[in-house]
Amino acid sequence: MTTTTSPLEWTDRSRELSELLARAGLGDRAAFATLYNKTSSHLFAVVLRINRDRGQAEDVLQEIYVNVWRSASSFDAAQSQPLTWLTRVARNRAIDSLRRTQTQPQFENRFSGEEEDNDVYDDKADDAPGPLDLLSQASDARALTDCMQDLSAPQRQSVAMAFYDGLSHAEVAEKMGQPLGTVKSWVRRALTSLKGCLESAAQVDVSAARVRNSKDC
Amino acid sequence: MDYSRPELADLLAAEYVTGTLRGAARRRFEALSPAHPSLRNAMREWQDRLMPLTLSIAPQAPSANVWKRIQTQMGGAVKPAVAVVAPHASRWGGLAFWRGLSGFATAAALGLLVLVNTPGPALAPVVVVLSSTAVSADGSALPASFVASISGDGRAVVTKPLLNVSLQTDRALELWAVPSAGAPKSLGLISANGASVVQKNKVPPGTAALAVSLEPPGGSPTSTPSGPVLFVGKLSS
Repeated sequence: MTTTTSPLEWTDRSRELSELLARAGLGDRAAFATLYNKTSSHLFAVVLRINRDRGQAEDVLQEIYVNVWRSASSFDAAQSQPLTWLTRVARNRAIDSLRRTQTQPQFENRFSGEEEDNDVYDDKADDAPGPLDLLSQASDARALTDCMQDLSAPQRQSVAMAFYDGLSHAEVAEKMGQPLGTVKSWVRRALTSLKGCLESAAQVDVSAARVRNSKDC
Repeated sequence: MDYSRPELADLLAAEYVTGTLRGAARRRFEALSPAHPSLRNAMREWQDRLMPLTLSIAPQAPSANVWKRIQTQMGGAVKPAVAVVAPHASRWGGLAFWRGLSGFATAAALGLLVLVNTPGPALAPVVVVLSSTAVSADGSALPASFVASISGDGRAVVTKPLLNVSLQTDRALELWAVPSAGAPKSLGLISANGASVVQKNKVPPGTAALAVSLEPPGGSPTSTPSGPVLFVGKLSS
């Protein structure tokens, strides 16, 4: 698997969506249709990882786009990138949908049954890549790879399960067979470490350039 | 809790965006963040950090039914937009005064992409894309600069910049309704940075184009544009 997350790709895709979203916000239905064609398979994939019931995921996707159509005028291109905004809306709706389905059997099946046979660090109920696979594919950018190496395996695993699959602390704890408090601190440390790493990455690049310049002198 | 404490705001936002903030805590965060800049800013930073991670998830096409159901909730089917590209400079009827304005002929020559929603029985709004009258270094058309939406009854116009328009502090942007014959009519001042709702004057029937001119604060001292016309967009008839 060589899928990469290039921040540049994210920005490029966002740029073309800005105008579509602005026009949709002014009631342009054709622009909204194009926006749907360009983004629905990404948002559906995001939702489907969190709520794996295809029918429910499609209901959630419908809610998302009706909501986007109604609130597109509130989107502010100066404040956030369209793809970030859309993905945020999709993730929030998907997480909310889990609350509604919590009593339903398909949710039970995800966390009970044949768990003894599974390695929690590489849990694949189907052919889809596990959360850890996704995280490593997403971290091809050098800075992020370095940051990931600072994390312990359980830290990486817990944050990946929470982010990609929408699992709560308690669900991650159950899946990993660890105390709740331990999982909470893994997630917290992983996020803190990730933030510090990503923030310093740009500065490192700058100072590396400075070092090179001073050697040239 | 004191949400202005940066560490706390950052921690809550991180857990919210990751998805591990759940239940009542999640709803409280959603209720509080609009009024707390520290929460909102921290949330935005975490979204910028984490959302691109979703790009590694392989796309999944939803069934065609989903789009049909969305359209039903939007009310009515999508009407295809009409794209009109003016191939060369055409004189705008009796708009003699426009011809003297620098850049006007060039703007028409660039070809104005105009997208209009076919007005339905419910008086659908008309969307106009305004392009810059300036010429880029290589002579190609510059990207669209403003979108404007005229309400079906012509009583309100909403404008929104698509690009950052930098404006000197002692200058203002004024929106004009340009008829195919006769003098333009001022619709009011618009913002260079955010959405503006203009409802001072009704858009007159027979309006052929919208234009934005650069004016002193408060708008043109005369009844016609006093400064250069920066953006124009034609309505399709």
